[in-house]
Amino acid sequence: MAATSRAVAGVAEEESLFAWKGMWGAVAAFFIFYICVRWYEGVYGWKYGLDSFTPEFEKYWMNLLYIELVVEALATAGLVAYLIKTRDRNIDAVQPREELRRYCTLYMWWVVYGVGLFWGASFFTEQDGTWHQTVVRDTDFTPSHIIEFYMSYPIYVMVGLGSFVYAKTRIPYFAKGWSVPYLMLVFGPFMIFPNVGLNEWGHTFWFMEELFVAPLHWGFVFFAWFILAMFGVFLQVQGRMRELIGQQLQQSADYSRS
Amino acid sequence: MSALASAVRTPEEAAKISRTLDLIALGAFFLIFLASYHVHCMLLFGDWDFWVDWKDRRMWVTVAPIVAIAYPAAMQAFFWEKFRLPFGATIVTLGVLAGEWANRYYNFYGFTYFPINFVWPAILVPMALFLDAVLVLTKSYGLTAIVGGLFYGLLLYPANWPLLAQFHVPVEYNGLVMSIADIMGYHYVRTGTPEYIRMVEKGTLRTFGKDVVPVSAFFSGFVCMVMYFTWHFVGRWFSRDYNIDQV
Repeated sequence: MAATSRAVAGVAEEESLFAWKGMWGAVAAFFIFYICVRWYEGVYGWKYGLDSFTPEFEKYWMNLLYIELVVEALATAGLVAYLIKTRDRNIDAVQPREELRRYCTLYMWWVVYGVGLFWGASFFTEQDGTWHQTVVRDTDFTPSHIIEFYMSYPIYVMVGLGSFVYAKTRIPYFAKGWSVPYLMLVFGPFMIFPNVGLNEWGHTFWFMEELFVAPLHWGFVFFAWFILAMFGVFLQVQGRMRELIGQQLQQSADYSRS
Repeated sequence: MSALASAVRTPEEAAKISRTLDLIALGAFFLIFLASYHVHCMLLFGDWDFWVDWKDRRMWVTVAPIVAIAYPAAMQAFFWEKFRLPFGATIVTLGVLAGEWANRYYNFYGFTYFPINFVWPAILVPMALFLDAVLVLTKSYGLTAIVGGLFYGLLLYPANWPLLAQFHVPVEYNGLVMSIADIMGYHYVRTGTPEYIRMVEKGTLRTFGKDVVPVSAFFSGFVCMVMYFTWHFVGRWFSRDYNIDQV
């Protein structure tokens, strides 16, 4: 018991296993940012977003489109470049404690990815459904499309890609070879974004504006299915987690109760 | 193994980390599958789910359960198979309902001013609970597909009837008989949804009028069995954890 107490005392001094500030900071940033976006849309969607041939539409909506696309491209490139540049160049020498910490951080990436997916694939996507019922649109770049397709989708793609590159550059298991479920988890939802090509083509030439369940939307569904690959990713992690903490976990009072 | 033993210092710390990771993973799972399931639902039966005047006896009763059972089946294949957690169907269903309610309230109502009474989402929780209960009691995917799948289809209408019934009270409106639901669709103008696009029961010469809901629900339950089998294997396929050497 004495040895145990000493060890616990030692734990308090070193870096925490969980980067709580990072996770909650990112989650809060997402919510604050998107609530502001929703406010902007609520005000300027009605004020300047109804007629795409007006100069106000150009100023308040098309400029937003151009700016966001540039910012997203730069931010994604910057994030991926940063993660690769700061990669662990001696990844096989990572200590178990540090490896566990990186797994904890990876779990937190998934939370942030989930928040991004919620806003992108759920909130702003179904929101487009109601804007479709409110305007007879005169452009492919409606206010809700500018936010849904060209803002919220690229942003969650960026987070997914970030989590993937984090795992690839920090965690020994993922550093070797390519995890098939992780590729599906990141690039399936990514494909929802280019699938907008099919969507706009369909809306333009099939005149199926009215129906939300029309076949031209099924491409989105197909690619959303790939998010189920989270199953495989989670299972890939479990084997190593068991090695890292499983032995001690089985000796715990908590474990013996269950 | 001795080197590995130092990842945690005490059994208590291991337990604490394990529990903390459980919570984080649960949060991530809730959000990630919420988004995935919501895309699936809104683009495969969304139109019936959006509007009260689409919630009819034939199409909605048939389509909604058949589409909705996919993710519960996949999630059960993962949660029960790998962790013996008996709430796979319920967690994804709670997720999609959270996503739908956030949208109907803040967007359909808050952004474009359709009344919530007009755009409330269908109740799915009783069906999910039944599915999870069958799996945990029988411990059999086969029985869950047959019994759970059947009742998944049968339960949609009874589960929703307490909410829906009030909108089916008849009204004489400008000399025509309309239900409250019809009047709401007529009154709250949807520019993108003309009346002819509404896929609802319109009667056929082969139909015996009063049996529409039971027949539709039973058919839906039957197809739900097939869907459950299929999506159980989809869930298993997505649970494969393997690597490749190059992409």
